Amino acid sequence: MSDVILKVENLQTSFFTRAGEFKAVGGVSFEIHEGETFGLVGESACGKTVTGLSLLRLLPEPAGQIVGGKIILDGINILELHKEEMRNIRGKKISMILQDPMTSLNPVYTIGDQIAEPIRQHQGIQDRNELVDEVISALRFLQIPAPEQRIHDYPFQMSGGMRQRVVGSIAMSCRPRLLIADEPTTALDATIQAQYLALFKSIQEQTDIGILFITHDFGVVADMCHRVAVMYAGKILETASTSTIFKAPLHPYTVALINSVPRLDQKVDRLYSIEGQPPSLLNLPPGCRFAPRCPDVMDICHEQQPKEVQVDDGHSVSCWKVS
Amino acid sequence: MADVLLEVRELTKHYPVKMGLLQRTVGWIRAVDGISFTIERGKTLGLVGESGAGKTTAAKAILLLERLTSGNILFEGKDLYQFSRSQLKTEYRPSVQSVQQNPWSSMNPRMRVRDIIAEPLIVNTKQSKKEIQTRVLELLEQVGLSTEHAPYYPHEFSGGQRQRIAVARALALNPSLVVLDEPVSALDVSIRAQIMNLLKDLQGQYNLSYLVIAHNLATVRFMSHTVAIMYLGQIVEYGDSEVVLQRPLHPYTKALISASTLTLPEDREQGVEPIILSGEMPSPLNPPPGCRFHTRCPEAREVCSREIPELRKFGNRWVRCSQLV
Repeated sequence: MSDVILKVENLQTSFFTRAGEFKAVGGVSFEIHEGETFGLVGESACGKTVTGLSLLRLLPEPAGQIVGGKIILDGINILELHKEEMRNIRGKKISMILQDPMTSLNPVYTIGDQIAEPIRQHQGIQDRNELVDEVISALRFLQIPAPEQRIHDYPFQMSGGMRQRVVGSIAMSCRPRLLIADEPTTALDATIQAQYLALFKSIQEQTDIGILFITHDFGVVADMCHRVAVMYAGKILETASTSTIFKAPLHPYTVALINSVPRLDQKVDRLYSIEGQPPSLLNLPPGCRFAPRCPDVMDICHEQQPKEVQVDDGHSVSCWKVS
Repeated sequence: MADVLLEVRELTKHYPVKMGLLQRTVGWIRAVDGISFTIERGKTLGLVGESGAGKTTAAKAILLLERLTSGNILFEGKDLYQFSRSQLKTEYRPSVQSVQQNPWSSMNPRMRVRDIIAEPLIVNTKQSKKEIQTRVLELLEQVGLSTEHAPYYPHEFSGGQRQRIAVARALALNPSLVVLDEPVSALDVSIRAQIMNLLKDLQGQYNLSYLVIAHNLATVRFMSHTVAIMYLGQIVEYGDSEVVLQRPLHPYTKALISASTLTLPEDREQGVEPIILSGEMPSPLNPPPGCRFHTRCPEAREVCSREIPELRKFGNRWVRCSQLV
């Protein structure tokens, strides 16, 4: 196996509000290797975005706090770093692509200015001509046509797909070790999404970058990820290789989630549907978090949280049925 | 002969682009450019395409929220433009209802659920308060909510429940056609299945016709009997949904299907290559000459940039491509 870039151990993130403590991430562990795309799949409010933000320590403080665990990037626990040191990691070693390119770019700066910012900050390049060259090569890296003219454009002059490529250029400009992509293609059209994903695959082959891919779309997971973790109410319920997740899922939630998505290559009359809704993060059930909706629920599921069990090489599940 | 509920003939909607002090018209956005289709009673037509393809404009035209530039809409065989205002109000509008994409913005946050569902009844019928109340409670149960939900406000519900409320409101007048504009795309994966199952059940129960607008082909395959694939204001392929989605003929349909089919890593090792289109959809302000898809088409020839292909019949479907014989 190639080198581990990132190791997350028992990460816990909470939001402290007047109503109480929202346990958005309730102890997740995973690792990402060089050249690997690791998918984090789940529904809204399962904690996948908060996990991504925690890795960059970009939580909205003071409400959002990392309350436990370790985030080890290239051997260093970044939770112990000083704020100033952390600033040197963001954008340089870890960068992020957000869902909506309309809101993640600044509308009043040209895209050239916005790409130059991390280059100036992290590579210390101040000379204007040199900066322009770097910006153009960053745009070219994401295959944006006519970058020499494009650097003077404002975000509103570009299409959604092109804007998301600009966001990609910013993220890749300092050749990070790890890229966090939070639903990067959800706002894009189907054929543009296919273009964007193919582009990122070729970038990964060139750079050996590790990608944490956050999504709710199983089609994108199948296309992009080497390994996947399925998240539910702040916990990872199952981690496995992409083929295993689709062909031999073990956790009832994974099974239900995959079955509830209609597929283009199968004609069904009714979709499998999971009754009920995810639990409130303010008031989590004492046992397995999926127990109230689980079709295979047993008594113990309501009482105790299941431990993560290694069922096969690289396949682990947290479920009483399996242990 | 099939029982045709709604027929759309050569529907066209061009929006003027105005500029300058005098607001002179400097161009036209050809949002929808001559589309035709039929919707049978009790059946679903899926309208598929990327943003800017004209799907929503077509739906708005059918809901009479937009005036057509040209073309006809026939409802139960009668041309809508022959209807008088009062006929439209009493015969057409109550029969054609809609469910919008985003259940967070399609309901007045200051109205209670019971008033939201009752509104179409108050506007369109002369029922007494008592009758309306009974009907509202009945509707709530039909869409899988409880009668206890009636006095609450929309913000007190989850997305899936809100979409159920929107469905109840659409059904209040016993419509024959419901226009569903991306009915599940704002919802979570596990909730989508619930709503899609509900819509299918209601269709069977009340013999409803649906016009489903969606960009997700798998959703369309699950919901629809026929599909129309739109690109830049035109229909490029139209026919039975199983035929079109299983054995697509138009290069654009093929690319869309490739983009939405689940390909596992081992499929790729066996040589399943995704079709990646180059470029983006051109502007409807200035559509390309010839075939509108030729700028991105992997199978385009020189002739495609000159000749405008007609929608031609191949078996039981229609395709707009001059390369097919």
